[in-house]
Amino acid sequence: MSHSGGHSEMDRRTFLAGAAGAAVAGLAGQALAQGSKTGIDAATWTPQHIASIAGTAEYDTAAECAKIVPLNHSGRLTYWYFGPTQASPQIEHELDAQFWDAFGKLYPNIKVTKQNLSYNEMLDKLRTAALGKAAPMVARLPILWGVEFAAKGQLREFGPPDVGYTADEFWPGALKSVTWKGKTYGVPTNNETMALIWNAGLFRDAGLDPESPPATWDDVVAYSRRIKEKTGKNGYGMVARVNAGNTPFRFMPQLWAYGGGALDEAEAAPTYKTIYVNNTGSRAALQASYDMYVRDKSVPISALTNTQVENQDPFIAGNLGMMIAHPAEYAVMVERARKATGDDRKTADAVVSNMRYGLMPKGTARRAVVFGGSNAHVFRPDLVDGGLDLGAAKAIIAFATGPEWSTKMAWVGSNPGNLRGFRTKWMKQRLEQIKFLNVTTSMLPYGIPFPVLPQSAEIMNIVIPNMMQNALTKKMTVAEATDDAAKKIKDLLGDL
Amino acid sequence: MATSDAVAARERPVATPPAASRPRPGGVLARVIRHRADYLYVLPALGVMALVIAYPVYFTVYLSFFNTPPNLALEDKIFVGLGNYGRILAAESFHEATRNTLVWTVFSTLFAFVLGFGAALALDRELFGRGVLRGTLLVPYVISAVAAAYVWRWLYHSDFGVIGALLVALGLTDGPINILDHRSRVMPALIVVNVWKEFPFAMIMMMAGLQTVPDQLLRAAQVDGASAWQRFWHVTVPHLKGVSLVTVLLLLVTNLNSFTIPWIMTGGGPAGASEIWITHVYQLAFGRIRFGLASAYSVILFVVMMAMGWIYVRALTRGEDRSPG
Repeated sequence: MSHSGGHSEMDRRTFLAGAAGAAVAGLAGQALAQGSKTGIDAATWTPQHIASIAGTAEYDTAAECAKIVPLNHSGRLTYWYFGPTQASPQIEHELDAQFWDAFGKLYPNIKVTKQNLSYNEMLDKLRTAALGKAAPMVARLPILWGVEFAAKGQLREFGPPDVGYTADEFWPGALKSVTWKGKTYGVPTNNETMALIWNAGLFRDAGLDPESPPATWDDVVAYSRRIKEKTGKNGYGMVARVNAGNTPFRFMPQLWAYGGGALDEAEAAPTYKTIYVNNTGSRAALQASYDMYVRDKSVPISALTNTQVENQDPFIAGNLGMMIAHPAEYAVMVERARKATGDDRKTADAVVSNMRYGLMPKGTARRAVVFGGSNAHVFRPDLVDGGLDLGAAKAIIAFATGPEWSTKMAWVGSNPGNLRGFRTKWMKQRLEQIKFLNVTTSMLPYGIPFPVLPQSAEIMNIVIPNMMQNALTKKMTVAEATDDAAKKIKDLLGDL
Repeated sequence: MATSDAVAARERPVATPPAASRPRPGGVLARVIRHRADYLYVLPALGVMALVIAYPVYFTVYLSFFNTPPNLALEDKIFVGLGNYGRILAAESFHEATRNTLVWTVFSTLFAFVLGFGAALALDRELFGRGVLRGTLLVPYVISAVAAAYVWRWLYHSDFGVIGALLVALGLTDGPINILDHRSRVMPALIVVNVWKEFPFAMIMMMAGLQTVPDQLLRAAQVDGASAWQRFWHVTVPHLKGVSLVTVLLLLVTNLNSFTIPWIMTGGGPAGASEIWITHVYQLAFGRIRFGLASAYSVILFVVMMAMGWIYVRALTRGEDRSPG
């Protein structure tokens, strides 16, 4: 590991120049169209490219942080984040502990008060805290949320240069998610896309090719039905719960693939002013869900109240054929299998060995996936409980978004937000250790960010799932449900 | 003694006084001054209430006249007068939530009361293991509502719930029954949980009420040849009228304010089938950041609750208002 800043800088420049050159070289065809939404060039960010750059550079975290905030800085920090949960693999808990331990050693005079909150409780709690002037200094938020706080004027302007990094070190799509009205309000910590996982054993039992995932969403419907008919087990792990982050991450790719959307977020140059939720593509996507849930009954009946966590048990028990999953799902399943006993252990081991990852299915319009991740934000000093210690805030963000810890903290579930992380030895280690990481990583160029609007959380977490529930419970027809959603989104845009 | 009687007579008019003799504002002030020490004692409590009740009520009413601005920032709120009230009353979601709230409140209250009353009657008799039974029946009441909601959610789970598995094992259904994900089954299912949680409260209240039924009257009725049903209907029930009214009113108020069970078990779904007023208000305020709309909703709810509170206080104080004669 080089501890000289000069060497690190050289690596950084070389890397950025290479990446920029490659990006220019890749400006063609569909890859361009896909890449323009996230800034990730499909021609460059191939699994081969990612594997080839992993482990080629070393960085000195301490030196990089020290340039921003002296290591003897004395102060306090309040930090809220959506960290490991009970459903997370053990390694995430261990790395989280290591992160705080390492930060404590690097900045021994910063007293940290941290809160690890669940996805479902964090947003409400943070909204209330910010209104009550009891916000934390720094919060690491899922990519969908930051713009709401920025639009409310509750965040302090803060971007990569504030912690010594350049904008080039992050994907444009990620930076867009922290940008509101031309100003930057955060630094990306990690970015990821999901993929389709399937149980090859169940595919075999259903007479399907165990090594070939469904190529299109129409195939997903057909495969799901076939699995149900042939094995009696559920084919596809649908999630349609309201106010749970899992739902839009699983349904929006389907909506976009058919040419739909909430707004025009899937277009090359989205304006966020045109409503797509009741167009032909959106209706086709919702019809596909309706066919699986109502017509074929090939998905869990509990899809309307389930989160993705409730799909994990049936999957490891061999009772679920396919689902859209996080990069971390494999690690989760391995761990669940390890904890199982007796016959359950045999079943779980068989499922793990039969587990496959593939690209998300295509629709009639495109292949799409949600460009997910998290960003670190700094709250306005007057809204922070006890006032803002800007030095401490900068220290934690520099530390968390640098190449080392943005890679380690994304170990099984994501990818480093700081692109230099892809060059670290830890990235190489991840690629060697984590099965299927290359598949989820190669979905990145197909990523579509959620609309960068303050109302995005409401649209994605409430309007879209409600639209699904209205159709799936037959309260409304597919057309009525999409029109109802369109009206709600129009009302929201009217507020704009 | 004579003096205190005289004071009592002065302060408790025997019959409805003619308009001319009703206490005048000056009289009230005089009484406040006369009892200033008493008022000083309750002043700290009044101050705390003003802080934690009056101000939030005022601010909620104030917010109800404003709309959420485009940037969702509360400080940029837009004055819309009574617009929010009009929007709410015209919204289909309000009508659906109101229907659900009525069903939830009426049936929860009715079944909790009937079940609680039945249990109280059963446990009022001398029977073996009465203490253990009484303790056991109290368990749902002392369990945390959050824990109970999570447990019941899993019991009901449409794919791998115990209830569904039991029905399959007994051969009553071919597959697990869809409970929480079904629009017409979800509300009855939630009411069952709520009744299970609340009936011990009704049971305690009615057991206390049963202690007040004079044994002599029951024995006298028995001597006069009254049957068990007649003794219950003509002696026990009239004596329980007051406590029954209070119990029912308290249950009604509690059920109108319910949040934990429906929110945790379904979040108001599926497709709004279990959305009741309180969950809807929460969703509007914290899920959709429409504080103005949520405040207007709360004000409507507040008026309904105040009306019920007035009935409740009237019921409680009805006997006290009457002259001893």
